[in-house]
Amino acid sequence: MAAITPQHSFEGDLFSQPLRNNTSNLFQVTEPDYKAFIPPNSLRRMSRLLKMGLTTAQKCLQDSGLGVPGAIITGTGKGSLQDTERFLKDIRQYEEKALNPTPFIQSTYNAVNGMIAVAQQCTTYNNTFVHRGFSFEHALLDSILQLQEGAPHTLTGALDEMSEEHFFIKSRIGYWKKELVNNVDLYKTLSPGTIAGEGAVFFSLSAAKTDHTYARIAGLKMLYKPSPVVVSAGLRTFLREQQLSPEDISLVLTGRNGDSNFEHFYKELDAVMGSAPQVPFKHLCGEYETSGAFAVWLAAHIMKAQQVPLQWFPMQEAFPSGALSRILIYNHFFGEQHTFILLERE
Amino acid sequence: MAERVLITGMGMITAIGGTVAANLNSLQQQQSGLGFTRFIDTIYKEILPVAEVKYSNEELAQMAGVPGQPEYTRTTLLGLIAMQEALQQAGIHDLQEEPTGFINASTVGGMCDTEKVYFDIIDPAKEGDFLRYIDTLDCADCTQRIADRIGITGYITTISTACSSSANALMYGARLIKQGLAHRVICGGTEALTSFTINGFNSLKNIDKQACRPFDHNRNGLNLGEGAAYLVLESETLVKRNGSRVLAELSGYCNSNEAFHPTAPSPEGDGAYTAMKEALAMSGRTIDQVQYVNVHGTATWPNDLSEGRALERLFGSQTPPFSSTKPFTGHALAAAGAIEAIYSVLAVQHQLIFPNLNFSEKMEELSIVPETRLLEGQAVETVISNSFGFGGNNASLVISKYEG
Repeated sequence: MAAITPQHSFEGDLFSQPLRNNTSNLFQVTEPDYKAFIPPNSLRRMSRLLKMGLTTAQKCLQDSGLGVPGAIITGTGKGSLQDTERFLKDIRQYEEKALNPTPFIQSTYNAVNGMIAVAQQCTTYNNTFVHRGFSFEHALLDSILQLQEGAPHTLTGALDEMSEEHFFIKSRIGYWKKELVNNVDLYKTLSPGTIAGEGAVFFSLSAAKTDHTYARIAGLKMLYKPSPVVVSAGLRTFLREQQLSPEDISLVLTGRNGDSNFEHFYKELDAVMGSAPQVPFKHLCGEYETSGAFAVWLAAHIMKAQQVPLQWFPMQEAFPSGALSRILIYNHFFGEQHTFILLERE
Repeated sequence: MAERVLITGMGMITAIGGTVAANLNSLQQQQSGLGFTRFIDTIYKEILPVAEVKYSNEELAQMAGVPGQPEYTRTTLLGLIAMQEALQQAGIHDLQEEPTGFINASTVGGMCDTEKVYFDIIDPAKEGDFLRYIDTLDCADCTQRIADRIGITGYITTISTACSSSANALMYGARLIKQGLAHRVICGGTEALTSFTINGFNSLKNIDKQACRPFDHNRNGLNLGEGAAYLVLESETLVKRNGSRVLAELSGYCNSNEAFHPTAPSPEGDGAYTAMKEALAMSGRTIDQVQYVNVHGTATWPNDLSEGRALERLFGSQTPPFSSTKPFTGHALAAAGAIEAIYSVLAVQHQLIFPNLNFSEKMEELSIVPETRLLEGQAVETVISNSFGFGGNNASLVISKYEG
């Protein structure tokens, strides 16, 4: 795995990285030095999301110790916003004449996939999902299908950026809180809207366990525009399909984000899961379409280390004790795309 | 034994017709949809030909049954019209009866409408109705509006792999069925012309100022098009249970990446060759059983050379009749794969091979030439349909006559 996120997630020991604070309601990633991963002449031409995506993908392959993947599958809600914005402005500024094609090419949603394929000389399956809060989850499902169809391992990722301009656009229709909130205080007071985030996260998924394995993805369920009742029923079904009861879950990672418009869905989760230990993750990464990938990354780290990075959860009083054998993730994107993902210890 | 994936309904709208039947008629009459745009605000309005759907947004909204709702973008309206025909043709009245998935494809979402108001949207001094377009900026918007209108009850997602997007949507839907995750998935794509894409391809010097000439020695680029197309895919189990009418079988598919260049294909057509070869192998057919190839054939200089070489490598001296239908429909990007998949089904159903318009001179690098005549009464049982895109994304589908 590898991740470029608002936290110090790219290098070093996660469990000794301090929590990053942010007070602007727009939580942007901590960018690493890309030079170690991308040659300087390519780096100059590449926009931000492409650098984030390509670098995370390469680092992930290094971390996995596996060779060329059997499939490259990504999810992105918005693709390269910077390039889309730039090409729109170029069209206007230069009155449609003598335009530089680079932002147009890079605005294509599968641009990062293509670049990874070239860098890895990977000529097999390649796909990109662009469906809000299901972008990463369908990349995950497609990867699971690929593994079942015989791919030895896949490179599966999610990437999204939030530009200042797009942050403003979404603020016009109430996506973000009107008051400025420190990310650490995200859950203190419910009010309409949340804080914006971004990130690039990649996983190597293999059909069989390796020496590098963090965890096993044991289950995935998606619900589209469910009512609250359907969420709780869906969760019960999901657990039953796994032959589990709420007590079997060591930790629940929730997508809670302080948004009063959608908090009721998390109440359904609380009701079903009872006293199972819960921690929220959106104060670490902000809200964005593919934040589910951040949650899987965090859960996999927790599973492998058998501990929670306590310093990242100053608002949390109690943590689970004992073995962490199963982590359940529940997340949704502004009430529309809801997902359950179950990780088990390998 | 994995499920066979059968096509039980189709719906489409393109520059050559608002229904599958109208498209078939235009193909048979050899009537191209190319002309100049009536609806896009661009300095290339009377310079670069496009294959535009002949209806205004207001007319499309009437046809789709959603008048007076500006948040239905042209992308959504085209999609909704094609979707309604697909459901009707498949005889599906109630999606609640069988969980039905929807795998859509889009390259720029609602850009067709948002590009007109983008600079108002980012201007804090401006307020107005245009704020309703903000949620239509992404690719999921059209998918969800179509899904919500018809009541999709299964998997829902959107794929964007440039010009091969809807071929990949069909492939993903087929795989969900084969692996037993769904019995019915509706797959395809929708694309509306935009100034964004016209300027994008023009900046790449990829657009011909004349009608495109696929596989011609003097070809000079593509023409953009718009439209939407959806195919209803069902498992054989569901077909037998419901007694559905089968139009054809999606018997093989392959997605292969070139890992060569962000926008250009490899000169030897490595990706195209692998995609066709593997798709055919999955279908259990041999090269001599292929009667027609609906090529990607954009008429850009590199695509046709690369794809032509791939055809020669795969078929040798026995290359079956092949043609590009892009001189009819333009290159409808995210919708192209599904439009041409439907044409491939029509070829099987009606025993037809469609003409490659505007061809006059053989490419000197190739020994093969496209079929320029409408061939009728052909024994067409297996067709390969190609869709290749930016990022080296190559997808081939095999459409076959269904024999239960």
